[in-house]
Amino acid sequence: MTYFRATDPFPLESADHTKLHEFYTRLAAGRLATTRCAGCRRLAWPPRAFCGECGADRFDWVDLSGEGTVHAFTVQETGLPAGFQGPRVFAIVKIDGLRVFSILVDADPAKVAIGSAVRLSPLRVADDPGGSARWLPAFRLA
Amino acid sequence: MRKVALVGAGVSRFGVRKASYRDLIWEAGKACFDSVPAVKPKDVEGLVVGSVMPERTAFQSHISSLAAEALGIRPSALSARTEHMCASGTVGIRYAYAFIAAGLADLVMVLGVEKLNQPAGEEAILNMGTGVDREWEASFGLTAPPCFALAAQRHMAQYGTTEEQLARIGVKNHTHASKNPNAHFQKGATLAQVLGSRMISSPLRLFMCSPITDGAAAVLIASEDRARSLTDKPVWIRGTAQALDGFQLTSLHEDYAHWPALARAAQSAYRMAGVTARDVNVAEVHDCFAIAELIAYEELGFCGKGEGGPFAAQGRSDYGGDVVVNPRGGLIGCGHPLGATGVAQAAEVYAQLRGEAGARQAPDAAIGLTHNNSGMGEHVVMIYGRDAG
Ligand SMILES: [Zn+2]
Repeated sequence: MTYFRATDPFPLESADHTKLHEFYTRLAAGRLATTRCAGCRRLAWPPRAFCGECGADRFDWVDLSGEGTVHAFTVQETGLPAGFQGPRVFAIVKIDGLRVFSILVDADPAKVAIGSAVRLSPLRVADDPGGSARWLPAFRLA
Repeated sequence: MRKVALVGAGVSRFGVRKASYRDLIWEAGKACFDSVPAVKPKDVEGLVVGSVMPERTAFQSHISSLAAEALGIRPSALSARTEHMCASGTVGIRYAYAFIAAGLADLVMVLGVEKLNQPAGEEAILNMGTGVDREWEASFGLTAPPCFALAAQRHMAQYGTTEEQLARIGVKNHTHASKNPNAHFQKGATLAQVLGSRMISSPLRLFMCSPITDGAAAVLIASEDRARSLTDKPVWIRGTAQALDGFQLTSLHEDYAHWPALARAAQSAYRMAGVTARDVNVAEVHDCFAIAELIAYEELGFCGKGEGGPFAAQGRSDYGGDVVVNPRGGLIGCGHPLGATGVAQAAEVYAQLRGEAGARQAPDAAIGLTHNNSGMGEHVVMIYGRDAG
């Protein structure tokens, strides 16, 4: 392998590492979830453990529908970071009134348009250093 | 508050440099001290170093002390590093300004430095992902180009902005860079070359993007009394402002063609300086991508919202137009060594307002502006004047 200062591009998702582990547990089961503030009932994206509006740190987990539409997108062909392949479709997905940044997997770039219907397609990435599976909330054309 | 001025400036050669992190500090420091012979390193009371990722690119922290020692500066009033992604340099200038205006220091150097190129090219790009949210953005492989491409897509859809109008900004800045011996690119570019260059992230092509560049820049900033004792042509800091819309892409204005934080920063900097957009003769704006310069025209008030494309195509941002934008070649032509960029912008305005910019001189430049951003959601604007105001 080429000389490299090693790095892990993916978050540590387990309960040992993040207050948001429930998000990843549900994602592994095919569900897209986020937090609703227990103080002001505000729905957040991405999920968060402290509410910047009311200051509460209590929250409930809420499942989203997992189906949305493309609000904006771009296709990156070259210049991607090590370990990521082009062409890569980056998109802002509108889902249940929230804007979610993600990628569209297995998408023919020519078939993507603003307004295209998409659905959640959890993407398994490299296991964490402890051997636990990791997932990212990716989407695909519906 | 006391008045504050630039009294010296220097930049290293920008490019893919056969040079270490410390080599670049030496080059910019030397060029800056050479610009004001009355100042020796021991006279400098403070140092602020803008640098984003030496932990990854040089495996090095403790940056301000390293740079102070490299240059023979023994800080007695201020020593700090600013990390604020692409705007780190200008944020450092704001700190120096505040210390001096408050009377806590009289002479401070602000130096920006970045050694981005690595033995493995793909690592340099990987490192750029540290500037976006690791958990919710960078984990997907996001770096800057797709962010700004999303803004370009929206601007084209909403205002009919064309690829050719974006390309005009690439042509202008590459052409300006050809007159700057320190620029990364020296050959200029034609419209056909820009439109024919390879696609990076639709609709942004290679020559509409800033490259991965190594470089450093330094300025010396002084209180009014010290400034007048060191030079007969101080360049005064007349206004400074910073504003944030958000960090993650999904926290920004829903339409990425709108950057409200830039408009807010510009208005408060203009107000502080007692000037308007129309008074600006020369502007160094943050053209990390051509669309960023185009949107900056609008949010800075050089033209109306949605008019950035025609403004570029009609040459109104070039010599002979309303305002000379990016005379040194911008980030597209000079490259973008993150922490160095904002300081290099200040160095260019320093030369322009002193009438010392040579082949790049904007005629009768009295008011200069710099705009440095950290992503689309955070903006820093500085106003400089030939007169103290
Ligand atoms: Zn709340």
